[in-house]
Amino acid sequence: MKIIVCLKQVPKNDSVLRINEQGTWIQDRDLTYEINESDAYGLEAALQLKEKHGGEVIALSLGPARVQSVIKEALARGADRGIHLEDTAFDNLDAYGIGTAIAAATKAEGFDLLLTGLQSDDYGFAQTGVIAAELLGLPHTTIVMDVELNDAGLRVKRELENGFFQWVNMPAPAVLTIQSGINTLRYATLKGIMAAKKKEIKKLDAATLGIDAASLAPRMEFRRIYLPQKNKQTQFIEGSAGDIAAKLIDKLKNEARVF
Amino acid sequence: MENIERDTLEVDVLFVGAGPASLAGALRLRQLIGKHNEEAARTGGRKLDEITIAVIEKGREIGSHMISGAVMDIRPLEELLPNWKELGAPVESEVTVEDVSYLTRRFKIKSPIVPPPLNNHGKYVVSLNKLIRWLGPVVEESDVMLIPEFPAAELLYDGDRVIGVRTGDKGIGKEGEIKDTYSPGADIFAKVTVLGEGSRGSLTKKLVEKFNLDEGKNPQVYAAGVKEIWELPKGRVTPGFVMHTLGYPLPNDTFGGGFIYGMQNDLLDIGLVVGLDYQDPYTDPHRLFQEFKQHPAIAKMLEGGKMLYYGAKTIPEGGLLSQPKYFGDGFLLIGDSASFLNSMKLKGIHMAMKSGMLAAETILEALVADQFDNARMSRFADKVKESYIHKELYEVRNFHQAFRHGRRWGLIESGLQYATKGFGLLGDLKTEAGHENMKKLHVFNRRPNAPGQVPQAEPVKYDNKLTFDKVSDVYRSGTEHDGSAAASQGSGFQHLRRSLHGGIRQSMPVFLSGSRL
Repeated sequence: MKIIVCLKQVPKNDSVLRINEQGTWIQDRDLTYEINESDAYGLEAALQLKEKHGGEVIALSLGPARVQSVIKEALARGADRGIHLEDTAFDNLDAYGIGTAIAAATKAEGFDLLLTGLQSDDYGFAQTGVIAAELLGLPHTTIVMDVELNDAGLRVKRELENGFFQWVNMPAPAVLTIQSGINTLRYATLKGIMAAKKKEIKKLDAATLGIDAASLAPRMEFRRIYLPQKNKQTQFIEGSAGDIAAKLIDKLKNEARVF
Repeated sequence: MENIERDTLEVDVLFVGAGPASLAGALRLRQLIGKHNEEAARTGGRKLDEITIAVIEKGREIGSHMISGAVMDIRPLEELLPNWKELGAPVESEVTVEDVSYLTRRFKIKSPIVPPPLNNHGKYVVSLNKLIRWLGPVVEESDVMLIPEFPAAELLYDGDRVIGVRTGDKGIGKEGEIKDTYSPGADIFAKVTVLGEGSRGSLTKKLVEKFNLDEGKNPQVYAAGVKEIWELPKGRVTPGFVMHTLGYPLPNDTFGGGFIYGMQNDLLDIGLVVGLDYQDPYTDPHRLFQEFKQHPAIAKMLEGGKMLYYGAKTIPEGGLLSQPKYFGDGFLLIGDSASFLNSMKLKGIHMAMKSGMLAAETILEALVADQFDNARMSRFADKVKESYIHKELYEVRNFHQAFRHGRRWGLIESGLQYATKGFGLLGDLKTEAGHENMKKLHVFNRRPNAPGQVPQAEPVKYDNKLTFDKVSDVYRSGTEHDGSAAASQGSGFQHLRRSLHGGIRQSMPVFLSGSRL
């Protein structure tokens, strides 16, 4: 079974974030990065499937040179090889753009299963995997907690609300977006780290993938990003209990507009 | 547990701890091997083929355990990488403005001149964290294996010869139980093991004890540095601004002082160093730092700003007279591990780097001779003695000790030392381990108010704007532990913050939820 896992490099989730001067995103200077949380669980799911059924795990990441560290980490944990989508045309893509690049690269590669995290810790769109699936013309399932192989293809467990789950039978190849926390992440071993140095990381750019600029053009933009405003107010209402109740109702109705 | 199958790795040279000492050492060694091989090719001598150099590091990434915001003497960096500027070394700024002040409770009295030993002209304000994050990949590219997330747990011996380290087991629960992620530590064997663990390294302590490497030396004395990084309103921070303070809030009998450094991008580095050989048992460097920030002159500087990060570390202050024997069969000690730090200037980064580079020269000779015994390793001490770091250490060898009888006497004696190249009025001064100085509570006329409560004349109020309690500060230290895992060896803060990665989280993007901003 050939599995491709998409790994996004995101700012560490305990980063102290400062807004950039244009007020459109966060400052990227002084940031440190890590593998997007749900993507790491996707990688682990892929490695466990490979251990059970054999095959190959390919770690794919898109971004500048620094994202190689994410691919290397995946190789050290047991992925067989890496694909790095690197091109200045890939800077500042929205979910559609990233989905387009992933679809082009994975189509060329071919696979039985394409895994992404449920959503990224930075933008949180939760769209990239789904868009890639649509562009590839493949079935997809989101918020996946378990994956089993059977003769017909896949049987996957989806998370619903309030502790309910859904089991879905679907054909392969398919795209699954993986929920965080569904398995136990492994440590890279020293052997794994040494072996990773010899594994291949293939670099692909937009031209090689045959992606034109128009298909990467953003369909969405950030107008302004700002810290949540605190506007806590405290008012004291005085008078008899009846007066207070009447005034309170009036304020809730006309000022706070909660009814 | 003993028939565990462990990964093993054989390298030629192993550095433990990816700080400035080890990284500079590993890179220098690679450079020297390159030069040696060029020379050998020309003269037909013996080449050093396929020498493997590894650096192991307990931190999550190379640089993640570096906290020093510092004024750095860049000589070793210039020697190591003469084109460091073109390579984009992230220094903040050359020192531009210097201020040495004495603080009383209310006032700040600026010294009209900067005393020569504190003169930082031509030096650079750096964030060691950024510098090491930058240096890591440079070193890696030169063909050195950098292995983060592998803490060294113990040294491996063959008789009395050090032959490598065993790394820590992973996946052990806090009760010592084996979890399903258990991964046993690996054995890394090396011809030379270089300990660059920093201050109070766990392997270094055991090694020093095993071979009595500190025999006849002063015991090591330490200071604790507590610091925060603040973001100030735009334009208020002058990059390269360097301020040092003496006096408030430290009592006369306590060694130490404050520092404030201006960095790029509106960031200010502020901290307080407190000698741990204090007399009052209730001395608390973190609380003193809060008092320091409340000084009117300091509070004014920080007004309107926001605290971003916190960190603390110990500083080995003993200097030359506390240096252990820093070589032996199969091993070398470098950087803070071997007390390479100028206790007067509180500068250790350049000494750490230089000591690593001198270790590299020693190791090259050893590789060429294929001998790694005590006699061969002793060349390291010769090289140190011929270098500027020894001269610098020699001149300040009595500095910390001079302050044992209070600040006033210390200033006089240390002034005399400066004039006499370190001899002072009294010659070489003995010292005791820091805890020996501590006096009983009644001496200070204090009684604990309640169990666990620190009696204070005026308790610090934590307003979460200017002053922060320890738990809030530790939260900003970037310390992260899996709450169910046993603490790793040598981590600074343990069990204080639980992992954010516990189980299934309903995935709201964390930083848009506001709680982390």
